[in-house]
Amino acid sequence: MQEFSVIGKRLPKVEGYDKVTGMATYVADIKLPHMLYGKVLRSPIPHGKILHVDTEKAKKVPGVKAVLTGEDTPKIKWGAFIDDMHVLAFDNVRFVGDEVAAVAAVDESAAEEAIDLIKVDYEELPTLFDVFEAMKSDAPKIHEKGNVALHQKFVKGDFEGGMKEAAYVFEEDFTTPIVWHAYLETMGAIATYSLSGKLSIWLSTQTLFMARQRIARALGMRIADIRLIQPSVGGGFGGKSCDEPTAMICGLLAKKTGRPVRLINTREEEFQASRPRVAANIHLKMGFRKDGTIAFKDARTVNDNGAYSAKAPATTGVTLTRIDTLYRFKSIRGEAILVYTNKVPTGAFRGFGNPPMHFAVEQMMDMAAKEIGLDPTEIRLRNATQVGDVSIHGWRVNSCALSDSIRKAAELMNWKEERAHKKAHQGLGMGCFIHVSGKRHFGNYDGSSAVVKVNEDGKLTIFSGEGEIGQGAFTVLSQIAAEELGVPAKDVEINVGDTDTSTYCHGAYASRLTYIAGNAVKAAVADAKRQLFKMASEMLEAIPEDLVSKDAKIFVKGDPSKALTVSEVARACLYREGGFPVIGRGTWDPPSELQTKDTRDGNTSGAYSFGTQMCKVEVDPETGKVKVLSFIAAHDSGKVINPMLAEGQIEGALQQGIGYALCEEMAFEDGKVMNPNFADYKILSADDMPEKIKIHFVETCVEPTGPFGAKGLGEPGLVATSPAIANAICDAVGVRIKGLPMTPEKILKAIKEKNKAAR
Amino acid sequence: MKRKILLNINDEDYEVEIDPNRLLVDVIREDIGLTGTKKGCEIGVCGACTVLMDGKLVSSCLMLAIYAAGKKITTIEGLFKNGELHPLQKAFLDYGSFQCGFCTPGMVLASKAILEENPHPTEHEIREGLNGNLCRCTGYAKVVEAIQAVAGK
Repeated sequence: MQEFSVIGKRLPKVEGYDKVTGMATYVADIKLPHMLYGKVLRSPIPHGKILHVDTEKAKKVPGVKAVLTGEDTPKIKWGAFIDDMHVLAFDNVRFVGDEVAAVAAVDESAAEEAIDLIKVDYEELPTLFDVFEAMKSDAPKIHEKGNVALHQKFVKGDFEGGMKEAAYVFEEDFTTPIVWHAYLETMGAIATYSLSGKLSIWLSTQTLFMARQRIARALGMRIADIRLIQPSVGGGFGGKSCDEPTAMICGLLAKKTGRPVRLINTREEEFQASRPRVAANIHLKMGFRKDGTIAFKDARTVNDNGAYSAKAPATTGVTLTRIDTLYRFKSIRGEAILVYTNKVPTGAFRGFGNPPMHFAVEQMMDMAAKEIGLDPTEIRLRNATQVGDVSIHGWRVNSCALSDSIRKAAELMNWKEERAHKKAHQGLGMGCFIHVSGKRHFGNYDGSSAVVKVNEDGKLTIFSGEGEIGQGAFTVLSQIAAEELGVPAKDVEINVGDTDTSTYCHGAYASRLTYIAGNAVKAAVADAKRQLFKMASEMLEAIPEDLVSKDAKIFVKGDPSKALTVSEVARACLYREGGFPVIGRGTWDPPSELQTKDTRDGNTSGAYSFGTQMCKVEVDPETGKVKVLSFIAAHDSGKVINPMLAEGQIEGALQQGIGYALCEEMAFEDGKVMNPNFADYKILSADDMPEKIKIHFVETCVEPTGPFGAKGLGEPGLVATSPAIANAICDAVGVRIKGLPMTPEKILKAIKEKNKAAR
Repeated sequence: MKRKILLNINDEDYEVEIDPNRLLVDVIREDIGLTGTKKGCEIGVCGACTVLMDGKLVSSCLMLAIYAAGKKITTIEGLFKNGELHPLQKAFLDYGSFQCGFCTPGMVLASKAILEENPHPTEHEIREGLNGNLCRCTGYAKVVEAIQAVAGK
């Protein structure tokens, strides 16, 4: 086992001092001289044609400096995968919350007054809120090309043969709702525009460079004429990926007025018009052989795109296929349909389309286990993917401790004993998951790059454009850099995300930063280390290959008595004739492949994470209310760089996952979000969370391609949470709930139906 | 009509001239420039705007600034004294009790109020005490640990 000095340590977050003292600066905390305040007018109707926009009264409000409508925008269509949005609507509005006009004024009240005075005449158009209605061939069209945004179908392996082999067959429908990220900081931007043509935006985002590309495209600008700077970001969870036009509107207002403009969403605007999790309608059929191995899987999902395409074209493919590498599927059939409706556009949310299919398949695994007479752990062990497997989609599994995670979770839960002796109305349930560490789709590149500067005092400054949104990327990347050069973690600093000072980076999504950016930073530091060792070898009269570095010193292996500090070597590089500052550059693109469009073949990620979650619940049979008593998460994330932060990722994901399971749902009426605030959209508080939570990292199998063996862990914490709870509810009261959230109403109804049938 | 009021924040007096309808959170953030106090939900549910007023927890997004005149207000900036972190701030760092940090100022102040009311709370009492402060990152487990660590000292 490799000995580490920084990797695996529970170090506090590098930006922590600023966060505990209130010094951390989020976008709404920034105030620039002569700054204006922006506001957006949104569509109050779900579908309509804009006949006329009257801005005359708004323009006359004292203090108003600009009023923009769709006519003032470049009218370029943009989007992450399908170009179907405009910065401001000028022809049709397609959901309640669609951006129609914007104002910049000297203060917020003037901006609000002006917004109220903009008069828009609409011709109302027929509305569609249900995917099955919207996909009918005679349904009114939301977009010119029709209401089906994406349709994928495939058959793989010997599907007919698999059907014949099945001794047990199950067929069910499952539904999952639109849920919202609920990051505590609403999205916002501050933009300044220089007449030289440079647009600078401080943006609450998790994908700086991709945001820059989209802004450039939507505004018809050159990419490098836009500078994006990432302040502290108050959470993202996929929602702050610039899939909606806040940054573009703010930029246009700054351009029009020549003054800095700050545009911050209200909480209600966030609910109405950000990009929440895609809702799925899954029809699932699975067959099992007598021994419990899976004979076939036949899945169809119809997902709700909402009014425009953000990330749902990608999340929908993930809903259909990602789970196909969790078990050793040999014959599968799949179909995914993504349908436009007149609701809020859906997008990326932690798990990226993966949780809905886990909710379905992991319940069916339990249904099969019960029928066949196997323990839920045993049926999964008999099907679990193993190291070295190449899955039915061609995914290469270099590391996998799924089976170990099942056994470890069972041990920590005391599974068999607890199940045998549980009290009335208590139940235990489990769920397994697979997730990725990066996903190749944008430009057939899933890499990362970094530059590291070695300062004269031996301290490293890392320039990475991946950014930090609270998940701990900066700390983990600093630890990787420190370990690579053999310096203490405090000798590493990382710059704030800034597109002008760092090289291209995709940003935070797909649990990719530890694995991919970690390797890029490691490579950059290795490059700097080579330069330092070359100089040190001259100074120590040794060959570079014989040198090692430890505790910020460089010396000949086995002879630490004649050591040079990193600082001495860095200074020696610089202060001499023809000297140079030590600058390392690193780049790394994982060994993955672009998936084929229809059949979704190809090794989508360089590494896959696995794990098992188990929980114990108590269901009140009188009210249907579920209390989660304890939770175990045994995850395979490879080598864990910082266990304290890693535990925090899982604990936080559980808060979102338990909420997804039991109470979270955006409620719509005629396309309007009816619970657009934290009083009506319930997220779990401290008292709602189980007191007994145990996070365990199964480090029995490290990832050979990962930095020091690490792989991604940000998203997986909620992927198997909802089926684990569903299975526990079933174990407790004998009812299977197939629609999320599993509210007391649904559970009570199911209990009553069950009792009625028994009579 | 603007009114001139005196606000005592973190033992310093600030004279501000404000419209009577201004919220305390806005005056603290925009007029005085103490941006550690955050705006999260605007309806007093999330706790990001939590401040202490005469030692009691207050949602500054629900209170008019004029009502705070003459009271002693503590914001997160007031906990860092004589170059030293408050023990709770230190514990939040050491136990990894925050991620994005947006709820953290309110969460630290709520923790302080919990311990001032009850220096040795049970886990259940801690969790009840945190109910007015929402966090979407941590799942609260490490916040509870930090408070327990400080209470145990």
